[in-house]
Amino acid sequence: MAGNFWQSSHHQQWLLDKQDLIRERQHDLSVLTEEEYQKIFIFFSSMIQMIGEQLKLRQQVVATATVYFKRFYARNSLKCIDPLLLAPTTVFLASKVEEFGVISNSRLISTMGNVIKNKFSYAYSQEFPYRTNHILECEFYLLEHLDCCLIVYQPYRPLLTLIQDVGPDDQLLMLAWRIINDSLRTDVCLLYPPYQIAIGCLQIACVILQKDLKSWFAELNADMEKIQEIARYIINLYELWKKYDEKNEMPAILAKMPKPKAAPQR
Amino acid sequence: MTEKVRRYEKIDFLGEGQFATVYKAKDVETNKIVAVKKIKVGSRAEARDGINRTALREIKLLQELKHDNIIGLLDVFGYKSNVSLVFDFMDTDLEVIIKDSNIVLTAANIKAYMIQTLQGLDYLHFNWILHRDLKPNNLLVNSEGVLKIGDFGLAKFFGSPNRINTHQVVTRWYRAPELLYGARLYGTGIDMWAIGCILAELLLRVPFLPGESDLDQLTKIFQTLGTPTEETWQGMTELPDFIQFKPFPGMPLKHIFTAAGDDLLDLIASLLNVNPLERCTCDQALQMPYFNNKPAPTAGPKLPLPTIIKRQREERPSLKRKLLESIEGASLAKKLQF
Repeated sequence: MAGNFWQSSHHQQWLLDKQDLIRERQHDLSVLTEEEYQKIFIFFSSMIQMIGEQLKLRQQVVATATVYFKRFYARNSLKCIDPLLLAPTTVFLASKVEEFGVISNSRLISTMGNVIKNKFSYAYSQEFPYRTNHILECEFYLLEHLDCCLIVYQPYRPLLTLIQDVGPDDQLLMLAWRIINDSLRTDVCLLYPPYQIAIGCLQIACVILQKDLKSWFAELNADMEKIQEIARYIINLYELWKKYDEKNEMPAILAKMPKPKAAPQR
Repeated sequence: MTEKVRRYEKIDFLGEGQFATVYKAKDVETNKIVAVKKIKVGSRAEARDGINRTALREIKLLQELKHDNIIGLLDVFGYKSNVSLVFDFMDTDLEVIIKDSNIVLTAANIKAYMIQTLQGLDYLHFNWILHRDLKPNNLLVNSEGVLKIGDFGLAKFFGSPNRINTHQVVTRWYRAPELLYGARLYGTGIDMWAIGCILAELLLRVPFLPGESDLDQLTKIFQTLGTPTEETWQGMTELPDFIQFKPFPGMPLKHIFTAAGDDLLDLIASLLNVNPLERCTCDQALQMPYFNNKPAPTAGPKLPLPTIIKRQREERPSLKRKLLESIEGASLAKKLQF
């Protein structure tokens, strides 16, 4: 809803408290370290991004799918649904919600096959194991666990407004835009409203490009403490990325990840 | 979600549309009467597309919208491609009321329906949503006389200039001229036009512009309201499906709506302005003298209802009847024991 963020389900139901996140993750964090948990989400966010690129989706669809993914696991353990199944399902649902058109199930599954084979073979030696009926069943669980809240506000639009106010600057816009993309790999989309995330990302972009907009930021009348928290999350992500060898570490982390039990024998 | 099937006890079949079947049901947890809209699965190919897109549109929008004059989405349940939406139960709709020859619609009644419709629609437009399928059948009315806009299966956000929309929306008789000319960029005007047609239908008690084809629809519009020119509607000739019509002069509205006062005729004229840029918005419509002038709109509970519903409403408090029924039921159970 472009109209009213303040009365949206995003604002009223889906801005979570940090303490809630910690509590909900207790089970998973008894098996994984916090860093391993974060690496799993970085990994699957990249996978969603990759599926989106293969299907030539708009970034808005990819971002919405990623938020669905994060919202689902904010309330559920990783053992509830295999993230390898949930990731394409979020893309499937998001492309319908964002009116991008229906991605046919067979196209989605063949895309998943390619993505795994060409981009993530270091983590998965086997083929994509899920079929249409798994995706369809998973879609319903996803809808239910999102409490039917499907409209997600993203920081991209507020960013455009902010840049307009600063004065047209393509370099700054592009960098801040990419930082927003990266921010989807952190918890900020669960914790902060999108306009604050946009300001946080813009601030980091200014630092990188050595642009002095201090007085402009000072006049924003935004909660700068929150903005600093957001920036901290994103900088932590970059620091983690720098020292992290995803290809070598990921197989062990995925092996350790809590998994759904096989269907009980009757 | 699967357990919820048992939460809703089917009471009655209410109707069937292209995409869904609607039942009246009782929510056994709250004892509330609700409407359950079961989306048709369609072909096997459609089933593979998962949750139906029309249903998703209703879910995503109604989850965000809360207004007295917008239908409330109470719950969603189902399994795989088989989805059901639970709504407020509404006793009837404006199509039934308009067609019911036993009902007399007074000027005050019509004003009450119009205010409620425009308030609901104003809220939608304020939230950047176009309904895109307004017609009497989608304006639902309950026994308290509250009108709610329903069926959001075609509703969509508007306002992004880069988003191209389909012009194949809105049931033909309520379709605005810019849509018939194939406009891909349109705005709230298409909903306002439909409201104009509905108002006319409330007054005339028959559809105002019942075109038999898209071309005939345009003919009827221009015969009645006059053929626009590039001067009266700038940009018209550049629309994708534009065709030049014979210049009809149009009829004076007061000859069509003989019982309507000047304030009402002004409202009709500004809702049915052929030029979408000059058509009024909800807010402008609600500010017009018609809504401040006498008669005052009828209070909800005093609005007319079809006979069947009225009878049910009168019967409801009759406890005696219920007791009798339960006694009969009890004796029947005894008989069966033998």
